[in-house]
Amino acid sequence: MVLSRLLTPFKVAALVAAFLLHGPLFAAPMESAHDLMSKMAKASRELNYQGLFTYEYRGNLTSMKVAHGVDSGQTFERLQHMDGLQRNDLRRTDNVDCLRTGDLLLRGSAYKINDQSYARLEDFYEFHIKGQGRIANRQVVMVHVLPKDKYRYGYVVAIDKESGLLLQSVLMSHSGKPLERFQFVDITIGVPFAELEFDLDASDFASVALDQSNCIDDKYQITTTASNWSAQWLPPGFVMASHQVADSNGQESMMYTDGLAVFSVFIDSDQGRSLPAIDANLGATVAVLTKADINNQEYAICVVGEIPRATASQIASAISLAPSPAPSTSISPLP
Amino acid sequence: MSDHKERLEQSLSALMDGEATDIEMHRLLKEVSNDSELRDKWKRYHMVSSAMKGDAATGTIDYSAAISAAIDQEPAHRQSRTAVFAGSAGRFAIAASVALVAVFGVQQLNSPLDSVGEISEFAGVEQATEENTGPAIQFPSGFQPIINARTVSAGGNNKSSQYVTPVIEVRQQVNRKYSEAEVRAYMNDVMAKHSNNAALNSNQGMLPFARLNEAEAAAEKE
Repeated sequence: MVLSRLLTPFKVAALVAAFLLHGPLFAAPMESAHDLMSKMAKASRELNYQGLFTYEYRGNLTSMKVAHGVDSGQTFERLQHMDGLQRNDLRRTDNVDCLRTGDLLLRGSAYKINDQSYARLEDFYEFHIKGQGRIANRQVVMVHVLPKDKYRYGYVVAIDKESGLLLQSVLMSHSGKPLERFQFVDITIGVPFAELEFDLDASDFASVALDQSNCIDDKYQITTTASNWSAQWLPPGFVMASHQVADSNGQESMMYTDGLAVFSVFIDSDQGRSLPAIDANLGATVAVLTKADINNQEYAICVVGEIPRATASQIASAISLAPSPAPSTSISPLP
Repeated sequence: MSDHKERLEQSLSALMDGEATDIEMHRLLKEVSNDSELRDKWKRYHMVSSAMKGDAATGTIDYSAAISAAIDQEPAHRQSRTAVFAGSAGRFAIAASVALVAVFGVQQLNSPLDSVGEISEFAGVEQATEENTGPAIQFPSGFQPIINARTVSAGGNNKSSQYVTPVIEVRQQVNRKYSEAEVRAYMNDVMAKHSNNAALNSNQGMLPFARLNEAEAAAEKE
């Protein structure tokens, strides 16, 4: 008894010491979800990697081999289908430094909606770090991204701890059901460009038209060209990231993003007559096409994106033609 | 006539009119088992109402005595002690499972996405949980081969394909005046353009191309 009473202070001291010794471990800076998203935005464009990933929706699973490399300002991508038909896709993006609206938003910039209000990604999603996991034999940080309204979906993402690369992304419906899953099963990050074995002279590279999307200028502004078409209603948080004036087929298109979700609006004047109203979905992608009869001209207005059907319908019915072009929009980050 | 009886008769006529409350219904069912007068009245009401509806009178034979005698004869119906115990154990099991559901339910509340770690639902078909608030839908009938018929209300082959090839799912079809090939070409075109847009702007790496390839595969499968 005497002995144990004597020992008690030592036990307490030992506990205190142990706690203090481990203190720095607990206090180790935990990356915020915000930092992770920002890191992810950089990683997906700047890293060289190759690996295998699967894409799954509604019981369908496909697997693809991918190589991604950056060399002298150009991004090269190769996608090889591992099942079904033999197919290889090659893509080249010529301006690796081009930052777009989506990049800015994901990196946490606030943007100007109008003179009175600003908004940023955190205003529309909640980010919860759900601890660590292992994907494709790599340590990942799991992040749950919950939408704050019904206009967009949520995500469960796994971000590579070391590089910040997105290794898993599950799109979640409002009822918490997975709509699609993208997941790497094997990946090597930091492969020297030469080892990716891109045939740089290949003529079958699909070059990405850069005017499809706008880059930020040196004032950190993105300006999209003016259009007579405009959306009278947009889900809050979405901004126009690019605008494509009518092409030779009479198709004009606009693209909107909130930093995570993306939807495109296509307006067809020539083809409008030959298309029916459509309400369709392919996996997690929904397409809603409405017909509009304006000044005896039939237009087809099609909204395509990974957004809830109700949101797409609401957007489609809010697209209208103004007699004069709307002023060009520009987004600018908060000072 | 006692108050109690009067109330019962009121409940009975309410029941015949289909307006009895649950409590009235319970009281009636309880009383009718030992009140032959009430039972007869119920029977008469039934006969009157079926006569008024033009049905043949069916209530002239009373099966109830014969049925209850037959039930008494059933050996399984006589409860043994173990059966009584099993019955209460069963109730306990139900209560326990309710508790489990409650605990599980609370955990689910933390985050609707918490259970995602082990996603097993992918094997199944995602139910269309959202209401279809889309525009009037028309689709060329020939489009069907690449349509999953599950949600096509006009089609007769519902549920026939749970593991379908990648498909464009269309809700309904009404009109036949549009060219199937044209619609398909258009859909593939906008999907491809959208995926390009998304790849440039969503920062989700290769994901948009995975979607795109599904669309192309769907088109090629025909």
